[in-house]
Amino acid sequence: MNENRPVSEAELHAYVDGFLGEEDSARVEAHLAANPDLAGMVADWQAQSAGLQAAFAGAATPKENDIRLISDIVAKASKRPASQPRHRLALAASAILVFGLGLAAGHYGPKIFEAPQIELTATEILPREARDAFLIYASEVRHPVEVFANEEAHLATWLGKKLSVANLKVPNLQTLGFRLVGGRLLPVDGRPGAMFMYEDGSGQRITVLVARNAENRTTSFRFASADEIETFYWIDGDLGYAVTGEISRDMLQKIAEECYRQFPS
Amino acid sequence: MSRNPDHPETARAPEAPHQRFPGDAAEGSVPFSFEAQILALLPQLRRYSRSLTRSAAESEDLLQDCVEKALISRSQWRGSNFKAWAYRIMTNLHLNTRRASGRRPVVALDEAENAPVITREDDPLERSRLTGALETLPSDARAVLMLVVVEGYAYQEVADMLDIPIGTVMSRLSRARHALREKMREENVIPLRRPK
Repeated sequence: MNENRPVSEAELHAYVDGFLGEEDSARVEAHLAANPDLAGMVADWQAQSAGLQAAFAGAATPKENDIRLISDIVAKASKRPASQPRHRLALAASAILVFGLGLAAGHYGPKIFEAPQIELTATEILPREARDAFLIYASEVRHPVEVFANEEAHLATWLGKKLSVANLKVPNLQTLGFRLVGGRLLPVDGRPGAMFMYEDGSGQRITVLVARNAENRTTSFRFASADEIETFYWIDGDLGYAVTGEISRDMLQKIAEECYRQFPS
Repeated sequence: MSRNPDHPETARAPEAPHQRFPGDAAEGSVPFSFEAQILALLPQLRRYSRSLTRSAAESEDLLQDCVEKALISRSQWRGSNFKAWAYRIMTNLHLNTRRASGRRPVVALDEAENAPVITREDDPLERSRLTGALETLPSDARAVLMLVVVEGYAYQEVADMLDIPIGTVMSRLSRARHALREKMREENVIPLRRPK
């Protein structure tokens, strides 16, 4: 018996979920026998599991109209035009949103007082604004972007003009499983910025932000993380870039590297 | 990691005919049409969507969105593990919309009362307290808890499905269990909850 050997919390979960072998189960049980508080917690977890399984078991039922549910969607999907019409109202709403973001950006204050810290500020603002843009737009179901992928050439020229970047390129991330949804114009630190949105086959979205940088300098890749939303960002000359998503850091890094390769320096 | 025979996925053998998909079945089985696979998977997807949402209506909406998304993106399915792919779509759709509504958990008392389908002789009051407590969980932690406890996925399978590190799976599971326990304990003695 080695009940004194510490048992990790991960092992307690695996015990509750039935993922431990006999030997490990016995060791956990001995540990629980010696620690009534832990035993109480594990018993509560087991009761949760039993309760949840019982609560939702009945939901796994076929329904009469299941076939219609699928055939209706198939019919609807085949009728829908390639691009969805954008309504005037939605445009107005997004204009208000963008305007709101501009106001929010204003609270960073008059630049004149921050001049000595401008280097720090630029690298702080970029990931924060990238994260905000992701939070606001990636969850948008109908109007995630202003210009959809079917007008990719127009998207590139339009945003290129706004950012004063000749030949702005929209990165192609197909090899990584992400297709372009589209893009939009948005303010980053009070200046026009471009956001491109991509989506994989499961609906997982990521955004790529391109913004004007105050001064000409270059940084290496940097990384910011908050609430499981990850951002890779870098500054290349007078442009700043940020790639944001709620996906693994490895995948996001691949995407960032791919964008870096494709954006002309 | 060995599987306990009592674990839901294996214990639920009697209602298992829906589980024959190319990804899960033995090699060489006849492939189903895409629509037929979704149809066969609907009951399980319905259970999962119900376990993520606050009401039966919200659950059916999520289920429809998921089916639509799967049909639109059918070319992106890589030909294996159809079920995990569909679950991933549903999870992403759900987290996207919950993010939009600001991550604030809302408990609708009426919903909590009539939501659960009672299939055992469990205490209905305990049951509604449990489903009520679920509404206080962050959506991402709730999804992981349901995938593990109700849908019977192993930790690594959940990590692969959602493309997150296994450490994140464990921390979300832990967060869900501790929070649920806390909630259940703090409400251990409750006065009449229904004003009617």
